[in-house]
Amino acid sequence: MTVSTTLTAIPDVQRIRGLEMPWNRVFQSTPEPAGAARALWPWYPQEFLAECVETVPEAGDMLTIVLRRIDGAPLAFRSGQYLNIAFPVDGPDAEPVNRSYSISSAPTQPWTFAITVKREEGGRVSQWVHENVRPGMVLDMLGPVGAFHLPDMDRRARYLFLAAGAGVTPLMSMIRTIHSLPGRADVVMLYHGAEPGAFAFSRELEHLASVDSRIKVYYSLGDRSVTGTWQGMVGRLTAQMIDEVVPDANGRQVYACGPEGYLDVATDFLSKVGVDDTSIHMESFSGSRATRLEYRDEVAFAGEIAEEIAAAQDEAHEPEPVTAALDLYQIAAGTEAKADDGTAEHYETGDVLAAEPTASAETPAEPSSFETVGQGSLNMSFLRSGLNVRIDPGEEILAAAKQAGIRIGANCQEGMCGSCKIVKLSGDVDMHHQGGIRAREIEAGKFLPCCSTAQTDLVLDA
Amino acid sequence: MAQAVKTKTSSRGKVSPARSEDQFAAVRTLFENRRAGYSLDAPFYTDPEVFAADMKGIFGQHWLFAASLAEIPEPGDYVTIDYGPYSLIILRTDEGVNALHNVCRHRGARVLTEPAGTTGNLVCGYHSWTYDAEGSLIHASSPGEINFDKACFSLKRAHSRVVAGLVFVCLAAEPPADFDEVSKIFEPYVAPHEIANAKVAFQQELIEEGNWKLVMENNRECYHCDGHPELACSLFPTWGLTEELVPPHLEDAWQRNVTAETALQERCNRYGLPYEVVEELDTRIAGIRISREPLDGAGESFSATGRRLSKKLLGDLRDFRLGRCSMHLQPNCWFHLLSDHVITFAAFPINEHQTLVRTTWLVADDAVEGVDYDLESLTYTWKQTNVQDKNFVEMCQQGAASPAYEPGPYMKSEYQVEAFINWYTQRMQEHLG
Ligand code: FES
Ligand code: FES
Ligand SMILES: [Fe+2]
Repeated sequence: MTVSTTLTAIPDVQRIRGLEMPWNRVFQSTPEPAGAARALWPWYPQEFLAECVETVPEAGDMLTIVLRRIDGAPLAFRSGQYLNIAFPVDGPDAEPVNRSYSISSAPTQPWTFAITVKREEGGRVSQWVHENVRPGMVLDMLGPVGAFHLPDMDRRARYLFLAAGAGVTPLMSMIRTIHSLPGRADVVMLYHGAEPGAFAFSRELEHLASVDSRIKVYYSLGDRSVTGTWQGMVGRLTAQMIDEVVPDANGRQVYACGPEGYLDVATDFLSKVGVDDTSIHMESFSGSRATRLEYRDEVAFAGEIAEEIAAAQDEAHEPEPVTAALDLYQIAAGTEAKADDGTAEHYETGDVLAAEPTASAETPAEPSSFETVGQGSLNMSFLRSGLNVRIDPGEEILAAAKQAGIRIGANCQEGMCGSCKIVKLSGDVDMHHQGGIRAREIEAGKFLPCCSTAQTDLVLDA
Repeated sequence: MAQAVKTKTSSRGKVSPARSEDQFAAVRTLFENRRAGYSLDAPFYTDPEVFAADMKGIFGQHWLFAASLAEIPEPGDYVTIDYGPYSLIILRTDEGVNALHNVCRHRGARVLTEPAGTTGNLVCGYHSWTYDAEGSLIHASSPGEINFDKACFSLKRAHSRVVAGLVFVCLAAEPPADFDEVSKIFEPYVAPHEIANAKVAFQQELIEEGNWKLVMENNRECYHCDGHPELACSLFPTWGLTEELVPPHLEDAWQRNVTAETALQERCNRYGLPYEVVEELDTRIAGIRISREPLDGAGESFSATGRRLSKKLLGDLRDFRLGRCSMHLQPNCWFHLLSDHVITFAAFPINEHQTLVRTTWLVADDAVEGVDYDLESLTYTWKQTNVQDKNFVEMCQQGAASPAYEPGPYMKSEYQVEAFINWYTQRMQEHLG
């Protein structure tokens, strides 16, 4: 007996074009069955309590704190956003200290979420967090906040992530998100650290890069004098280094997070390799006074929104309707625009608003005041003619309308020529056309009265 | 993604000779007397007889550019276009694209009168004869009519095919076969820009008071490019020169061009994009020139700085610095394909002294006006350039109409004009027999 082995080439992974966040799909589905998924729409900040369920020490003197909401809801956010957390640094009775931390976990695993805190020398809060936050502790928080995040939809999905030190946190969320989603993407992360062994998440990053062909990670040490073995790159960020790891940086969206100084030089080098400033998204936490003030404003505004929504929900005893919540997010997007032009937001709000029915808003007159003619069990209101026409189910609409003196142009009377096409604002018809109307037009509310019968009361634009 | 050639479902009627044998012979003599290397004699630009011959010999015989899929993005979308006396409906169907003669089979009315729109079936506005998307007559309300066979009155069809999102039509009964080869040449250059996933940002129509050949001639040289200050920001001032010809004051620009070209070719190799010049302007029936060349400045687009004009890359392109891929096809079109937008140009002859030039700017269909691109900036360079070109063409038309006009020599840098005229003359001589 012989044993033979055949080496089979592993075929390439086939994926759909681009990347799309799962909540996008929710926009298109009906409210009822997708009700549960609604909770995942990350469009406005909330105030909530969360309980620590796990702490994970990370390389580089960082600590990951895994949390879950006390109310059992998932946390809806966009990867790259942050939370504002009240830490009872001076004891339970004293005024807590608020700090913002990027979420490091992916919104595609929303039942728990994580922040990753670097222990800063002399940092009162970070020290306290490292020493005191333990499973079981409940913290008061507000979020998600921030315009530094992946777009909801990106059919190109080519990214360059520039991380320095603790700046890796929001980018980690982005990489985890992309890894967890289908779709073609091309992610290169260039991660700068001070010394070997200081790269948080490096084992996971290595793993992700090894199993996901979309992800590449490069490490570089800022300091050239390295002792011991080090296999990554050496040296501070330069234009040449960017060009080496991503010769196509020019066509990518760049997300960069790190200390101010690092981001300043990054901006400079990125423009040298031809990256347009509208393609650069930056976040700095360790930052200058100006940045901190910006965050403070953002958080304060998010707080107002959270309050308004909470109030609206109390009143109505039912979930906030889509549009109201959206308007609020739009306001937020407007103020966030300073940070990155708010381009990502323009999309999704545009899409959703377009999906809102607008036709009924322009009702010119009240059909109940119209004169009614004809006989039949159903009523057709012709808004422009200002007439109600009775009709029986099974009776053809065009004929009944003409009978009542309504002017609708018509030729073939067989649903072929399309000349009788009118707009239906409400109600259902049964139409048997023969190519005189396109599916797109039907979706837009048009129909051919010559080959349609009424199934319910109708409101018609004619 | 070339689609199969659509065959006609009905035979086209014989074109009866519109002019006498004498006039026919006169036109033939004009071609025989054409002096190579010189511009054409005046009648080529001014004589209705020559125009009528052009419509049959060139526009009635060859593959012509009609529109791009971006102009008819969904089934039911159509555009109507005219080539001289011909009028066509270019209709997007569920399966592909149909080209139908826009001439009602009842009493000949234009079936569709709008330049563009969306329709289910096609209804003639006169007596409502109704045709389906394939052109079959499906309804003719005719009370009392018997023995009327609808099947005999389908709309006439022209050949059409889509290559890399560009729609071409051919009015001949038997289209020239070498378009197959030519589409294989240009498809790899054009396809990565994914015109089928682009949208029309703007369309400009200019009626130029000039013969269609003057429009094409003007397009085929850059001898006059000093007259295009806006475009000059994007084209290297050494465009069309060879190393030996570079004057001292342009040496810097020459170096800049060489460097940009090397970088562009490296990029193209990395991304698998072809860039070599293919030039067969008069050596085949479907004459073509195509290449990808760097642009000056940042090298991304037709802006004063060379920076991108739309923030969304077309298709799956990876880099904004792809210069311009330029394509010339005989007889009626030219194209510039950039990483962020595509511009298509088509010449539609109206009569011997007027030509409609339609310019269409395409951007990625997910690009949002005002967010990803500013319409004014996007269209600025070519709007200016087109108006300047219109002016040049009209200057020549006026000249050709003067008794003092006589053909002048094409210069070395105008070899593509000569190639166009040579192509035209050959095709017409074949046609006139
Ligand atoms: S009259 Fe022709 S479709 Fe209604
Ligand atoms: S001419 Fe078209 S229907 Fe009569
Ligand atoms: Fe020109």
